[in-house]
Amino acid sequence: MNWIKQLLVRRQMNRDLSEEIQQHIDEKVEELVEAGLSQEEAAARARLEFGNLALLAERGRDVWRWHSLEDFFSDVRFALRQLGRSPAFAVAAVLTLALGIGTNTAVFSVVNAVILRPLSYPESERLVSVKTLDLRGVPKPSDLSYPNFFDFRSANKVFEHIVSYRDEQFSLTGVGEPFHLRGEIVSWDLFPVLGVPPVIGRGFLPAEEERGQRVLVISHRLWRERFGEDPTVVGRSVTIDGQPHTIVGVAPAGFSFPIAPEPVDMWTTLARDADSDTFTPVTEQRGARMLSVIARLKKGVTIEQAQAQLDVIAASLAKQYPDSNKNFPRTYLRSEIENMTGDAKPPLLILLAAAGLVLLVACGNVANLLLMRTAERAREFALRTAIGAGRVRLVRQLVTESLTLSMIGCTVGVLAAIGTMRLILPLAGNHLPRIGEVGIDGRVLLFSVVLAAVTSLVFGLAPVLRILGPRVVEGLKEGAGTTTDGGEKLRNALCVGQIALGLVLLSAASLLIASFYNVMNRDLGFQPAGLLSFSVNPQQEQAVFYSRLREKMGSIPGATSAAIGMPLPLTGSQMTVAFNIEERPAPAGERPRSNMAIVSPGYFRTIGTPILRGRDFNEQDKLDGAPVLIVNQAFAEKFFPGVNVLGKRIEPGARYGAAGAKMREIVGVVGNARQSLLTPGSEPIYYFPYEQLPWCCPSVLVRSQTPLVSLEQDIRNSVGSLDNQLPIYNLRTMDGLFADGMTTSWFVVLLLGSFATVALLLTVTGLYGLLSYAVVRRTREIGLRVALGASPGEVRAMVLRRAMTFVLLGMAVGIAGAIVGGRALKTVLFGVAPYNPLLLAIACLVVALAGGFAAYLPARHAASIDPMHALRNE
Amino acid sequence: MSFKDRKDLFPGALEMMILQTLERQPLHGYALVQHIKQTSKDLLQIEEGSLYPALQRMLKEGWVKAEWGVSASGRRVRIYELTPAGNKHLEREVSSFERMLEGIRLVLSPRKA
Repeated sequence: MNWIKQLLVRRQMNRDLSEEIQQHIDEKVEELVEAGLSQEEAAARARLEFGNLALLAERGRDVWRWHSLEDFFSDVRFALRQLGRSPAFAVAAVLTLALGIGTNTAVFSVVNAVILRPLSYPESERLVSVKTLDLRGVPKPSDLSYPNFFDFRSANKVFEHIVSYRDEQFSLTGVGEPFHLRGEIVSWDLFPVLGVPPVIGRGFLPAEEERGQRVLVISHRLWRERFGEDPTVVGRSVTIDGQPHTIVGVAPAGFSFPIAPEPVDMWTTLARDADSDTFTPVTEQRGARMLSVIARLKKGVTIEQAQAQLDVIAASLAKQYPDSNKNFPRTYLRSEIENMTGDAKPPLLILLAAAGLVLLVACGNVANLLLMRTAERAREFALRTAIGAGRVRLVRQLVTESLTLSMIGCTVGVLAAIGTMRLILPLAGNHLPRIGEVGIDGRVLLFSVVLAAVTSLVFGLAPVLRILGPRVVEGLKEGAGTTTDGGEKLRNALCVGQIALGLVLLSAASLLIASFYNVMNRDLGFQPAGLLSFSVNPQQEQAVFYSRLREKMGSIPGATSAAIGMPLPLTGSQMTVAFNIEERPAPAGERPRSNMAIVSPGYFRTIGTPILRGRDFNEQDKLDGAPVLIVNQAFAEKFFPGVNVLGKRIEPGARYGAAGAKMREIVGVVGNARQSLLTPGSEPIYYFPYEQLPWCCPSVLVRSQTPLVSLEQDIRNSVGSLDNQLPIYNLRTMDGLFADGMTTSWFVVLLLGSFATVALLLTVTGLYGLLSYAVVRRTREIGLRVALGASPGEVRAMVLRRAMTFVLLGMAVGIAGAIVGGRALKTVLFGVAPYNPLLLAIACLVVALAGGFAAYLPARHAASIDPMHALRNE
Repeated sequence: MSFKDRKDLFPGALEMMILQTLERQPLHGYALVQHIKQTSKDLLQIEEGSLYPALQRMLKEGWVKAEWGVSASGRRVRIYELTPAGNKHLEREVSSFERMLEGIRLVLSPRKA
């Protein structure tokens, strides 16, 4: 407090002091003149007796100065002058630092937005996600079913609200063109649980979960784009999927739940699920686990306490309903932000670690530059020590110089990061949650500045160690050109460290690239090229609609085949349903489970998966036909190992109405088409013929030789000819879906590859600089050697040997680091072991080549040294 | 020999003398110097200017306060006045100075001890 005041009034103080001193001298002169001296004599005498005017005034002012800070500023000014004196050094150091800090700033800004920032709901730290634990095999979190959700809701005492939600697709008609909506089916208190009320109208009421209720809250975006921001929209009835729904509210601008790549357009209550088109609505099927659940902890309740209570409820449900709940006696609670961003963590943290390594390599380069400069300035430091500068003072100056450098580097780096992020972020795709919110905020800036400060300590340490060494004053004695240089060992060690880090990064990048290559090139089990898919929500008798649609699709020019199916390959969406094997019946709860899918005849031909044995579905496999199934190879091997699966009968839990329950005969075996991109092995799956299980809503697949653009209009016309009020959505090529699924991996590979390249370049320049400097310093020695008969080849070999010593030492350290680093990558690697000798060998080779490249010019320079010139120079 | 050199041997002496002088009456810088010179019978050669850094230090410490006023000769001057804190400091300094002097005296005349 006091010093602030002092700082403010200091100018006045200084003026007072000057005036006071002037008055003093005037008074003295006056007195002396009165005593008989001449004006000149009096003035001279007054000054003499006063003492050194400037110095005393300065000391008087000094009293008020805020010493440490102002000394710091003057050190900074001095540091800037020093940098200005060697601009090449300054530019090299600043750019290197900017590269390192900028890289980290950019990556951290992504980590910050995706992982660190709290969710944009009030008191979001109390929001948790609720799942049950499926204890079959390795325990894994599982979604909830409606009846279980209702029981958790009524029995718990730990949540203020607990809310179920699930994605659904809707068609809006009667408001302009037919329009596809992404929606959520939620329990009534979605808006209370999030703590965000709608801006217009209201949220849902408990009674609106009842059968027959059809109410909507629409997104701000939908309100703007489709309803022209009409304030009277609340209470209006709109047609969704052919049924009238009442709009009761409009969500605030920017509100989104759940946070997903594509924004949600509307929310409706689970009344929608209470009237299901299967005979038992899903709200009454305890085994239909399809709900995500979010809850708000009561104040003061911890997540562990909540979990403990829910575990009790889950255990009692497991006892009460063994058929469906026996294997789900426990729950799995995580904070909602963890639930949302958990998957994004490993790749982002790997990138952050890699960026950190890049910065370390950059630090190595800057430290080496500084060391060389310190060596150059040895005389300056020796002189300053000799005339009385304490070591503390010298160290402080060095630290200030480092800090100044890194702060300039930080500024340049942050600006560069802002610039490059614009170019790079679009490559990240939209699979990382909240990736759209990435930006440089206060926290990112703080991170960068702290990082720069820490960085300056890291690279600034080397010259400080050098200064603190015992032989500073010897700098004065040493003539220019002596070969003793205490900093040399330190520089060499730094260079070895850089080579090691470069190898670690390179090896990590090679592992990720290999993993990416594996994913890209593995057998998908079907032919994505030329395949496209789209979805519609038919409003009429589905089986009839899809049958007619398949006919229409088949007759589009260029289309070779068409089919329907759900879920589609590569989408990663799964339906997992238990079944009973006829020859090995098991009680409910102990039956085997597997993924299932529902497909039409021609599906396998359309996606390009071979039928290995038996037959495809045909038009006779209808509801009243013989119940049949097709399984994939993995299914046959897992559940019927070593026997012919054709003709075996199983009874799946999935049914359509009362007519469903029955043993189904396996009539065909097909290849393993991948349902999701990143699962390791081939997953077993069994296929129903669509007409025997006409669930809503399969996607349509078309294989064609003509490009998508020309096909799109034909598809729209065909759908329109069946129902002109039907929006088409999710129209996309399988290639596109594949590429989309790969974007995050691609992003990580791209960045890590760039980081490794940058690190390698830095290492090469570092090694080059070190060797060149060594050659220059040893000019005389080399000249002497040449004069004594060393051939240019021998001189060249000498430099190269030196370089290779560094490289080999660096490799030895780097290989150890790479093996450790590989383990850290384990979770994101696919089809490649964390320790891969071949890749490591290639990385070593690249490093060795880079080392040779760095050594080439200095070696040539050394070989061309003219002994006469070199020796005479001294 | 200037006062400045002696100050290194005995830090705080000048300040003590200033405070002691100000205790009797508030004075401005020039009058202070003159007073100290005269009272010390010119035994102490004070470099007049060295007064000012000392006064600034004491202002900062809060031992004295200064106000612009008019001197007897009609000159605009800054008049220094002892504060209660300065008074306390002076008492402390004088007593510790006296103890020190006593100690030195005892050492210098060992036969009496």
